[in-house]
Amino acid sequence: MTSITDTIARALSGFRSTPMSRAFGSWLGKIAGGFLALLVLTAIFAPWITPFDYAAQDLTNGNAPPGWPHLLGTDQFGRDVLSRVIYGARTSLSVSATAIAISITVGMTLGAAAGYFGGFFERAVMTVVDLTWSFPDILIALIFVAIIGPGLTSTTFAIAIAYLAQFTRLTRAQIVRLKQETFIEVTINLGAKPHHILLKHLLPNAIAPVIVVGMLAIGDGIVLEATLGFFGLGAQPPTPSWGAMMASGTAKLFLSPWVIISPGVVVAVTVIAVNLFGDELIRALDIRDRIRDS
Amino acid sequence: MTNLLEVRNLSKQFKSSGGPFRKPRAMYAVNDVSFDLAKGRVIGVVGESGCGKSTLARLILRLIEPSTGSLRFDGDDLRAKSPAAMRRLRADMQMVFQDPYSAIDPRYTITRALIEPFVVQGRYTIGTADQEVSELLTLVGLSPGLASSFPHQISGGQKQRVGIARALALRPRLLVLDEPTASLDVSVQAQIISLLEKLRDDLGLTYLFISHDLSLVRYFCDEILVMYLGRVVEVLPETDATVRHPYTATLMDSTFAPDPRQRRIIAPLEGEVPSPFDQPPGCAFADRCPRATAICRSETPVLSTAFGHAVACHNPL
Amino acid sequence: MLEVRDLEVAFGQIAPLCGVSFALEKGETLGIVGESGSGKSLTAMSVMGLLPLSGGRITAGSIIFDGQELTKLPEAAYRKLRGGRLGLITQNPMTSLDPLQKIGPQVDAVARLHLGITGQQARARTIEILGTLRIPEPALICDRYPHQMSGGMKQRIVIAGALAANPDLLVADEPTTALDVTVQAQIIRLLDDLVKERALSLVLITHDMSVVAQTCDKVVVMYAGRAIEQGPVEAIFAEPQHPYTQALIGCIPKGLSEDEHLVGIPGTVPTVMNYPKGCPFHPRCIRAEDICTKTSPSLLPRGDGAVSCHFPGAAP
Repeated sequence: MTSITDTIARALSGFRSTPMSRAFGSWLGKIAGGFLALLVLTAIFAPWITPFDYAAQDLTNGNAPPGWPHLLGTDQFGRDVLSRVIYGARTSLSVSATAIAISITVGMTLGAAAGYFGGFFERAVMTVVDLTWSFPDILIALIFVAIIGPGLTSTTFAIAIAYLAQFTRLTRAQIVRLKQETFIEVTINLGAKPHHILLKHLLPNAIAPVIVVGMLAIGDGIVLEATLGFFGLGAQPPTPSWGAMMASGTAKLFLSPWVIISPGVVVAVTVIAVNLFGDELIRALDIRDRIRDS
Repeated sequence: MTNLLEVRNLSKQFKSSGGPFRKPRAMYAVNDVSFDLAKGRVIGVVGESGCGKSTLARLILRLIEPSTGSLRFDGDDLRAKSPAAMRRLRADMQMVFQDPYSAIDPRYTITRALIEPFVVQGRYTIGTADQEVSELLTLVGLSPGLASSFPHQISGGQKQRVGIARALALRPRLLVLDEPTASLDVSVQAQIISLLEKLRDDLGLTYLFISHDLSLVRYFCDEILVMYLGRVVEVLPETDATVRHPYTATLMDSTFAPDPRQRRIIAPLEGEVPSPFDQPPGCAFADRCPRATAICRSETPVLSTAFGHAVACHNPL
Repeated sequence: MLEVRDLEVAFGQIAPLCGVSFALEKGETLGIVGESGSGKSLTAMSVMGLLPLSGGRITAGSIIFDGQELTKLPEAAYRKLRGGRLGLITQNPMTSLDPLQKIGPQVDAVARLHLGITGQQARARTIEILGTLRIPEPALICDRYPHQMSGGMKQRIVIAGALAANPDLLVADEPTTALDVTVQAQIIRLLDDLVKERALSLVLITHDMSVVAQTCDKVVVMYAGRAIEQGPVEAIFAEPQHPYTQALIGCIPKGLSEDEHLVGIPGTVPTVMNYPKGCPFHPRCIRAEDICTKTSPSLLPRGDGAVSCHFPGAAP
């Protein structure tokens, strides 16, 4: 029996609208979501909106301060900083999103299997997965760099492995919780096979929190990509990457601060926007408890 | 009369494995339970929380594997069935669960929930599905217009009717009812009970009815098993049979009559159901029993029919 | 002792309680009975002044406790009253106690706060109260933690806490719903004895007509935020006048005869969001006519009690 106050609270929260529309409902969600949408569009349409070729060097005009026609100035090789920041969005977003997609796919599969079958299999999977968590992200990246050399592939794998444990644990916790629900017992009692229970009931109900955490992880992935780029382990020249740009800016930090400040500000704002929007989504989906579980 | 279900010496022991900070412990959730359920009859299982009545229901349907004992359904040995054969057989023995609120996948519409039994059993045909759904909804007294609703859009009573419809979809012969009305309002509880009565008459169903409510069980069932800490302590062959076991008597005394002229002056028996772990020898009820003697604390009484019907007590009333 | 008149409560635009009145004398037990969403718990919360906790407020009516108007009482004064002269027993004993604190200090705190006595005196009181609640070895129990006790024992501790400051009025909100039947019988008997011995007034909120029949002197039957019938318990059970009360009593199996037949009440209990217009019971009522869908009947005296129905009367 639910109390009156519960009913009212639920009614006032308006569960008829979709979670997405509710996440956009608050002004914070609007700003963060709007910025992210703009960033994705910029990355997609980079070739059409960049004023200059990101790789075109003009050594006579190196370290030019912001002004016309280089709105954010140029770097030491005379390349347009604005164009490079825009192309950098492409690199950062695609590397981070690809890595997280790999991580979610592998993590959900492992987590679902561990949670569903339990026993020795569960313990084995969770032990291995937890081990990956105990290595620093940079160390994992170094291992990949040692094996396949520096570049975006290493970065992608490093990010994917760094977040694998999180998705495996989250999915497993969801599955273990859902297995207790009456409707699972009902389905077993109808004579359903395990794959029916997993694919038709458990996974569809477990997916929402994983997607939201995945979205937050993309933000962290951008930072990790920038870090690796900064150390020269990620994107190799002339591919523009926010991290690598910052690294190249350190040499002339006081002479031409715009080279390091521009990508730095973009990284910070992007990560803040991802987190704000993710929080709004969590609130809208009402899944805070489920995320905390794991 | 033939028996649809024969349960013999059914037991389930749960063990918790030990760790660095705790001892391993074991308990019998269900201990040596035997009974027959004839076709078309309704047996009620009554007891307080922790008496093992819900575990018993799940053991019978093999949702939990029994530790020992045998189960025969329509003459077939259930425990010898392969997983695939058991899955097919489940169509014949369905269950209605206590909590209608979590019994339907929140992402499923009512239609999808009602079609699922056919899908799972490989009996789904696209052409007839819609008609099956509306027939099922009508059968349980719901409007076919509800078919496209989601569970959160309908009331608890309606959800429980959907639960019953889904259980009936595969035309089962045995229906296990695990406290089907415990989480519903009184006025809705009576609706569901009267629906279940009607369905039994119309479809010739056999029921195993699990409840903590003695007055409801007496109203609804032909025969009553009273359980206490995993054991059947008394089998009342008729609902108005003379009570022999002191625990059944306590249960009767604790059930209030809805009539201010029949107020009970005598305070009921004190004490509560003890922990099922590490049970001392003897009768589990001995500590609360006003009739307990030395033998009750040393020897566990077994069901005996020396007093007319089966009672497990050294000093029956 | 307690008089509630035309109480109305609102949460923003929603009015889950619209017109509840009853009165209670010293030493009397009043049962408020209804199904989920009828507003019975909300009535209890209003009396205890706990509505602001969940964002509600009293929009009309009055609550008079021992000659004092409670609806306009400032929170500080209410805090003195609550736990002092007004005791509350909540539904779920499992969550009503602090799991990290021993039983003794939890009960002591109430007496120390409201009676201003020392720790030792308070402990002596606690042990005495636990004893009267038939808790074995009360001195030992004081040193236990809640998780070491059974559900029935925990509910007794909650009752002890409510009694610690010598209340005049006890509000018990579904005190036995979470308990087993044999334990429920013990707790109900205990409350009944307490009312008699201490000349307490008890407001018992429940969904169970049998509990009301066994313990109460007066009954208020609630439906969809309204008191639809009230009166002395014998009269209500012998000759209920409102069709809902009649049907509700008809929903309980009595085990009197073989051909007894339960019907239930057709339809579903309305939620706060969709209280019907006119008489709230009309969609489920066998006597409903045109007028019932339009105007809401008011609570008018009839026999020993009062009923809110356009066509009151004994069952045909």
